[in-house]
Amino acid sequence: MARTYKNFSTATLYHTNQSPFCKPKVFSTKILNLEPIIKDRSLTLCSTVSRNTRDNSIGLKHYVPTRSEVNQTDDTLISTTGKFGRFGGVFVPEILVTCLNKLVAEFSLILHDSEFQAELAMALRDYVGRETPLYFAQRLSNYFKNDDGEGPQIYLKREDLNHGGAHKINNAMAQAMLAKRMGRQSILAATGAGQHGVATAAVCAKLSLDCTIFMGDVDIERQSSNVILMRQLGAQVKSVEGTFKDATSEAIRNWVNDLENSYYLAGTAVGPHPCPSMVREFQSVIGKETRKQAMEKWGGKPDVILACIGSGSNALGIFHEFVRDEDVRLIGVEAGGNGIESGKHSATLAKGEVGVYHGSMSYLLQDDEGQIIGPHSIGVGLEYPGVSPELSFLKDVGRAEFYTVTDEEALDAYSMLCRLEGIFPALEAAHALAYLRKLCPTLPNGTKVVVNCSGRGDKDAATVFKYQQDRAQLTNI
Amino acid sequence: MALSSVSSSSACKTQTYLHSHSSLPNSVSPLKFNKITPPCHSNLRSPSIVCAQSMAPTAVEPAAAPLLRPDSFGRFGKFGGKYVPETLMYALTELETAFHSLATDHEFQTELEGILRDYVGRETPLYFAERLTEHYKHPDGKGPHIYLKREDLNHTGAHKINNAVAQALLAKRLGKKRIIAETGAGQHGVATATVCARFGLQCIIYMGAQDMERQALNVFRMKLLGAEVRAVHSGTATLKDATSEAIRDWVTNVESTHYILGSVAGPHPYPMMVREFHAVIGKETRKQALEKWGGKPDVLVACVGGGSNAMGLFHEFVDDKDVRMIGVEAAGFGLDSGKHAATLTKGEVGVLHGAMSYLLQDDDGQIIEPHSISAGLDYPGVGPEHSFLKDIGRAEYYSITDAEALEAFKRLSRLEGIIPALETSHALAYLEKLCPTLPDGTKVVLNCSGRGDKDVQTAIKHLEL
Repeated sequence: MARTYKNFSTATLYHTNQSPFCKPKVFSTKILNLEPIIKDRSLTLCSTVSRNTRDNSIGLKHYVPTRSEVNQTDDTLISTTGKFGRFGGVFVPEILVTCLNKLVAEFSLILHDSEFQAELAMALRDYVGRETPLYFAQRLSNYFKNDDGEGPQIYLKREDLNHGGAHKINNAMAQAMLAKRMGRQSILAATGAGQHGVATAAVCAKLSLDCTIFMGDVDIERQSSNVILMRQLGAQVKSVEGTFKDATSEAIRNWVNDLENSYYLAGTAVGPHPCPSMVREFQSVIGKETRKQAMEKWGGKPDVILACIGSGSNALGIFHEFVRDEDVRLIGVEAGGNGIESGKHSATLAKGEVGVYHGSMSYLLQDDEGQIIGPHSIGVGLEYPGVSPELSFLKDVGRAEFYTVTDEEALDAYSMLCRLEGIFPALEAAHALAYLRKLCPTLPNGTKVVVNCSGRGDKDAATVFKYQQDRAQLTNI
Repeated sequence: MALSSVSSSSACKTQTYLHSHSSLPNSVSPLKFNKITPPCHSNLRSPSIVCAQSMAPTAVEPAAAPLLRPDSFGRFGKFGGKYVPETLMYALTELETAFHSLATDHEFQTELEGILRDYVGRETPLYFAERLTEHYKHPDGKGPHIYLKREDLNHTGAHKINNAVAQALLAKRLGKKRIIAETGAGQHGVATATVCARFGLQCIIYMGAQDMERQALNVFRMKLLGAEVRAVHSGTATLKDATSEAIRDWVTNVESTHYILGSVAGPHPYPMMVREFHAVIGKETRKQALEKWGGKPDVLVACVGGGSNAMGLFHEFVDDKDVRMIGVEAAGFGLDSGKHAATLTKGEVGVLHGAMSYLLQDDDGQIIEPHSISAGLDYPGVGPEHSFLKDIGRAEYYSITDAEALEAFKRLSRLEGIIPALETSHALAYLEKLCPTLPDGTKVVLNCSGRGDKDVQTAIKHLEL
């Protein structure tokens, strides 16, 4: 039975004085005074919310490796960093372990490399277009006011304004720079809705890297506009039978075949360590900006943060900054497809059970025999049978709440935002917006709600067009 | 009769030619927007066509550096002006007065800045295009430094929204609840519908029936945003006809309606207003250039259709003589093919849609149907201020063919991972001719006026053939 931890403010920071690369599993910890640690922002960059196995308290774990430690990296099993409670880990074939070790080492280094961070910051500013605004959606807020004229104040974090049209590029940019630094020339990636594919293709063009994108044939058809964009950007798009999960498997298979020269650019916060941590870390710029902007705009923090969940990259990106602020409510919205009782949905945290998939332990949609159930959602980017191990952990400890929204509710939310604010949300983001309908009536007047508008919906206009036409035909019968 | 606000003196006889594209019997409407071509060019020394509101004909000096842009009659040298039916004069004057008062209204400016920042996503970055710069280096490793002003990162993907947002706010201040606009490919229509949704204004978009067929998805987008899209069947059922229809609507509903013009064309005060609303592009560029390299840009390059994005970038630097300004128009199939939209290169002076400017016309003064692969440059006229800047030699204007633009489209996508709009691709294509002539280290700023997601289908079709 999962224990619920409500008090994150007393979370202690553990500093390890023993290298995590040498020996697995057990390492000694020393509890330090929090003040100097918190002041040094760089030390809090690589942190994982975790449970101390000795005394079961919740803490933030981090480590600061030296160059010599990194050089000494050998083939021994990766340590327990990469675990979020019981979730996460490195469930991979032996052949990938060295490769992942190198990645972990390089990742740790760049987090503390001020030159890399400066270059990344400039790329995010000048190329991607950060920082993205925190936009007060007045008409949307008015729409959700009750009869007394009271209601929450809704803000949209405009990740749709990024280059490429989604939050995916924050991670793609950083990882591509990391790959280049590691001397890899060939980038492999898997994409569902195509946004990660487009983002990866764009940054590869900019950094003159070769790019191969794997995409399910079903998805290629549904998001054909994105396929065209990827090809235009110079990427090779390879069709894989099935959907995103099959594309991911194929991409990893190809990666294993060419470990020296290729780099698997994970777009989602799933996979073996360090993928979930890396993706979350690179996306956490969203949350950091939100904190700063909230302070500027209303001199406080958000009260509720809402984000859609496919695998969890955009949600973690905005949640991570606020995990230790227990007065900030974190709500993730999954894809309910045709309804979670119908069997055709992607509501992993609602209906899944714990298992290992694509290298990490997490909740996933599986049948009684442990076979993966094919997910469904109109938001193609949400269609994944697994979910980030970190989100699984946040669910287990009760830090975040998770709900679902059906296809139809998402499609209505799409139209709602267009009409009220002149913004086309991605159908994925529309799931988060749809949940406002259930959430707002329960919130006291003036509650500050921040919704992560994770992508723009130009790619979905055709889908919505068809849906509305079909609906019109049905009502005409 | 048709244009009672124009009083022609004996120095320059004007003849009214009806738009020959309209074959409808009622095309002789007194309120119909007509194009006038002064038949005798030599008499244009002192423009004698004046606003009805002036007491005496005013001779405007020939172009000189300290000339007002525009002067109180809305003229840039001899270009510009207000060639409109009498019914619209009041609306235009009201608009001008409102515009001038709001320019100093602190509340309005703060609100506009807030919207530009939080809704549109400004300021847009000035991005150093490393691989593009590398591509244009001479064999000895020297070459200009190319920067892109990323207007493609704006909400809705183009610079158009800067103006749409400001005009919608202005309309609200004026108490207008109804907005009309015309659109060709749909981009300006979508931008207008977007801001109307944002501000809760009623929105009517006029679109040629032919264009509606070609751009069904944009039509759907506008409808999703809550706008009403009205098909225009007259004439060739394209942009020009949609514009005429929109103006007709405005004339009929002038009290309740504001007409959001998408470019720096049209009667005064539109060229000035639209330029001012886009001038934020140039202002940001100056600031960013100073931050990045401690100086000003040496060369500014922008594509020119109506001329709004170019004016937005240029305006800030017009008085800086050491900054070179280059506008790039659409040469379509080639300047000699007759199928192009290179107004400033091949056009002659006349009046279209309310302003005197260069325009593509045949010997009888009829509008020549322009052509360009990019819908946004497919306009037979050009903003009067551009005509003026060309005449005084302050800005240079060149043209680029469809094929060259497509090459540039591909090039930027492959080198920088940015898919530019086909309009912007024209400016990018000019770099091929420009860069070899520039000394080492020249700072070139190109206005990346829009993103090209909307154009990939077109590009593929043409690139495969």
